[in-house]
Amino acid sequence: MMIDLLLNGLVSVPAGFALLTWLASGRERLAVVTAVLGAFATFAWSLWLAAAYDGPLGGSGSTIDVVWLESLDIHWKLGVDGISVPLVLMTTLVFVTALLSLVRYAPAVAEGGPSRTASLAALLLVIEAGVLGSFLALDMVLFFAFFEVALIPMWFVINTWGDPADGPARRRAATRFLLFTVTGSAVMLVGFLLVWGGADTFDITQVAATYTPSGATALAASLLVGIGLAVKTPLWPLHIWLPDAHSKAPTVGSVILAAVLLKLGTYGFLRFWMPITSPEWLLVPVVAALAVVGIVYAALACLAQTDLKRLIAYSSVGHMGFVVLGAATFTVGGVQAAVFASVAHGLITGLLFFLAGAIKDRYGTSDLARLKVLYGTVPRLGGVFVFAAMASLGLPGLAGFWGEMLAIRAAVEQAAVLPEDTYRWLAFIAALGVILTSAYFLALVRGMLQGGPMTPVTAATEVDATVELVADAVPAGPGAVAGERAMVDVRGLEWATWAPLLLLTLVLGVAPGLLLTPVADAAVSFLGGIG
Amino acid sequence: MTGVAQHIDWLAIAPPLVLACAAVVVLLVDAFAGPPRTRRGALVPAALTVGGVVLASAYVVGAIRVYATDGLVRRTFCVETVLEGASPCSFVVDELTLAFWAIVLFGTFVVALLGTAAVAEGRIPQGEWSFLLLCSATGALVIAASRDLVTLLVALEVVSLPAFGLVGLRRGDRRAAEASVKFFLVSVVATAVTLMGISFVYGATGSVFLTQVDVAISTGAGPREVAVVGALLTVVGLAFKVAAVPFHMWLPDTYVGAPVAVAAYLSVVSKAAGFVGLLLVLAYGLPDLAGSWAPVMAVLAAFTMTVGNVVALWQQHAVRLLAWSSVAQAGYILVPFGAVAAASREEITEVLSRSTGYLAMYAVVNLCAFGVAAVVGTRYPAQRLVDYRGLIREEPLAGWALAFALVALAGLPPGMIGLLAKVVVFSSAAGPVTWLALVMAVNVAIGLVYYARWLMELFRPAEVAGGSTYDVPNGVGVAIGMTLAAAVVFSVLPGLLLDPVLVSAATP
Repeated sequence: MMIDLLLNGLVSVPAGFALLTWLASGRERLAVVTAVLGAFATFAWSLWLAAAYDGPLGGSGSTIDVVWLESLDIHWKLGVDGISVPLVLMTTLVFVTALLSLVRYAPAVAEGGPSRTASLAALLLVIEAGVLGSFLALDMVLFFAFFEVALIPMWFVINTWGDPADGPARRRAATRFLLFTVTGSAVMLVGFLLVWGGADTFDITQVAATYTPSGATALAASLLVGIGLAVKTPLWPLHIWLPDAHSKAPTVGSVILAAVLLKLGTYGFLRFWMPITSPEWLLVPVVAALAVVGIVYAALACLAQTDLKRLIAYSSVGHMGFVVLGAATFTVGGVQAAVFASVAHGLITGLLFFLAGAIKDRYGTSDLARLKVLYGTVPRLGGVFVFAAMASLGLPGLAGFWGEMLAIRAAVEQAAVLPEDTYRWLAFIAALGVILTSAYFLALVRGMLQGGPMTPVTAATEVDATVELVADAVPAGPGAVAGERAMVDVRGLEWATWAPLLLLTLVLGVAPGLLLTPVADAAVSFLGGIG
Repeated sequence: MTGVAQHIDWLAIAPPLVLACAAVVVLLVDAFAGPPRTRRGALVPAALTVGGVVLASAYVVGAIRVYATDGLVRRTFCVETVLEGASPCSFVVDELTLAFWAIVLFGTFVVALLGTAAVAEGRIPQGEWSFLLLCSATGALVIAASRDLVTLLVALEVVSLPAFGLVGLRRGDRRAAEASVKFFLVSVVATAVTLMGISFVYGATGSVFLTQVDVAISTGAGPREVAVVGALLTVVGLAFKVAAVPFHMWLPDTYVGAPVAVAAYLSVVSKAAGFVGLLLVLAYGLPDLAGSWAPVMAVLAAFTMTVGNVVALWQQHAVRLLAWSSVAQAGYILVPFGAVAAASREEITEVLSRSTGYLAMYAVVNLCAFGVAAVVGTRYPAQRLVDYRGLIREEPLAGWALAFALVALAGLPPGMIGLLAKVVVFSSAAGPVTWLALVMAVNVAIGLVYYARWLMELFRPAEVAGGSTYDVPNGVGVAIGMTLAAAVVFSVLPGLLLDPVLVSAATP
């Protein structure tokens, strides 16, 4: 069967290329090229899958189902529908860009011994396999298993390749990420097992069709699964692992964390939390309220940030708030909003972290107090940054707008059983959050990019820091060379990396229907009675 | 006195008999041939040991196949009763017995191979080592088949007594001697307490046969309170054997003091014997008192995993870390015991089989970890975690084996077998004792921290280039390769390991 090959292949292609990359790690160039090829192959594979799948979830045109562990009735069940396909495509695309960006590092790292970049590339491909598996898994235990695949590799990425200037903080961030995520997912597993006790199956499509959540156990199950996903998403107040992990990770690590790994949480809310949750519970408005608190909190926190990467990291918390708010409305519109906002956030925040990484490479710092007048020195980079910032704050016509707008609309037209007034207020506060978001992004643009002409960052203190930080890249480079090198505007490879993200942000902003229609169909068929 | 000329089913007792005979042969060969003087000479007792285990394993594999097709349960040492109903037997080979036999023989096989490394150092006498190992393993086989309290206790002692010798076997090592004495004293106390518990149970029910104890309690024939006290004392005694907190103090020092192969043996085979003892007494003899012992076991499980994991966080010594991690793992194995307070008789058997499932996984991957520790210990007896640097690059088989074992112990992919075994244990607790499942969830996270820390060291470059290349003895290489292969195969096809062990859990 074609669909078997497509679904299994989507997980095994990146995993296989990860292995090849590891085997080739003795030869830096070859390994990185292999990894990039792997990313492209996976992307092509996902396009093929998106074109070939057919029919609703659970049907033979879109799903495979093999018994994996008979005694516990655990199945190897993978499938795609309109909810998962956009996320799959976004993931494979972001990984292509992430691995492409590594090509630049390949010749620079010459520490002797086996290649570190090759290992990084191999780990990224392992993460990709895990993430894609999570988006495809329809068995709760299988979802949990794939959910965990990305964990150890990501820990390695932060711990080994993270911020070289601050070792202890980097390791602390990595360990905190590990602890939070693994506790969250273990708690989620307990929730799944409680559902299993009631529904007698781990198959989420069957759960969605037949399971009626009621009673204390079902509530506990929903709560536990919700907590697990809320850690990953992250939902305020469980976001505290996020700023450190994002800001200490290497650029590709931040991109993958923000663009892809957070989506495991939001996707989990749609696929695995909504079917086991009854909108009649007080839990649902509470989740919506936490999401809105997250939006406002993140915006306020962003205003106070002094570090570019931390600022972008906090802005993610706000964006994820919109996604969860959408899911917590239990409407088709809400699901549409959630998927759209997830994809848009993946593209835009991925781009923002790439830009932050590019700026940090050039200036040797991401401290906002020391980043000035980018327009004057690197105008194209500044231009792209403004574009990404505008997209992120939700400018109409770009992708960021639709997710937020639809989430707020869904909150106003929430499912009938939900408390109407509460949701109106939540929608109102979320809209205020949008304004605050605009405020900090505009402040950022003004502070970092604009200003009168002045000599770029070559004051004595700055040079020291710059030299120290790019020492790896330019082993023999004296300060002056490093300083000049830092001021290169956007390079060809960077254009290649960012262009797909830029383009799609624009396309989705102009034609949101491309994504919204399939999502709506899938939501109706998967969740049945909602909205 | 007609029962004297008793019929004995020799096929039922064949595996322990084979091991016992092998032990005697090894001892005699050693006595007559004298201690082997060359490495080649040391092969003879080693080959005899491994041969005995293989022979017993071959028989068990055959028995498992017969059981799978016919469902044949062999019984022997039965007593004619004047009452109606099945006559109670002391030695029964059923599904549970076969599962534990497989675990014990696998463990003994691997430990026998690991022992070749320790013996090669010349500090451990080969003959004694093989003899004691086989004796102890014989006891472990018998306990899994025992169905009366006296046989059970005697078998438990047969496991323990040679183990004291094994722990103190290293010549001229004061730490080994201290570890041995500590282990001995704790064990004796535990036995005494168990014996006390058994006598209470006997006093309350008038029988030592588990089936009759069960009947007496469920029909209310004896004073229930006395039986409860007996049950709890028995649990405490066996808790010493499995090193459940707060009866775990002896374990880390003993593991560290003993040769690594012996530590591996204690952590897998000896521990399995303790668990099967618990399982038999509680599930077969006292299922009716589950309401009394299950909450105690739940608390015990929670403390065991928490203390084990938290203390393991600070360990820098690899074997000590494995020791504390094995305390924590014992906690996970105890979880199903804590989840059956309100379960029916059939459910108890079914839920406790999940402990067996976890134990089977733990046996495979833990032996793998100890195998690598044995290799590294040949150059770095101090067993610091930093001594494991560079292992992945310079000794890939050992490095990847340890890495795989650690992720499986942590319960993460790609060690899927570890992950699924955790799911199996979680599945027993979620619902009846959800709080315990949540405690376990937090513990899984804590455990991950130290496993990940060790994992990190493996991937770092070695401090001195070539500092992590080893001349791995063939036996140890085979042991590591075998456990790694088993762990990988079971990760891809978990059903091979878990389906036979878990009793019809598909219909909860």
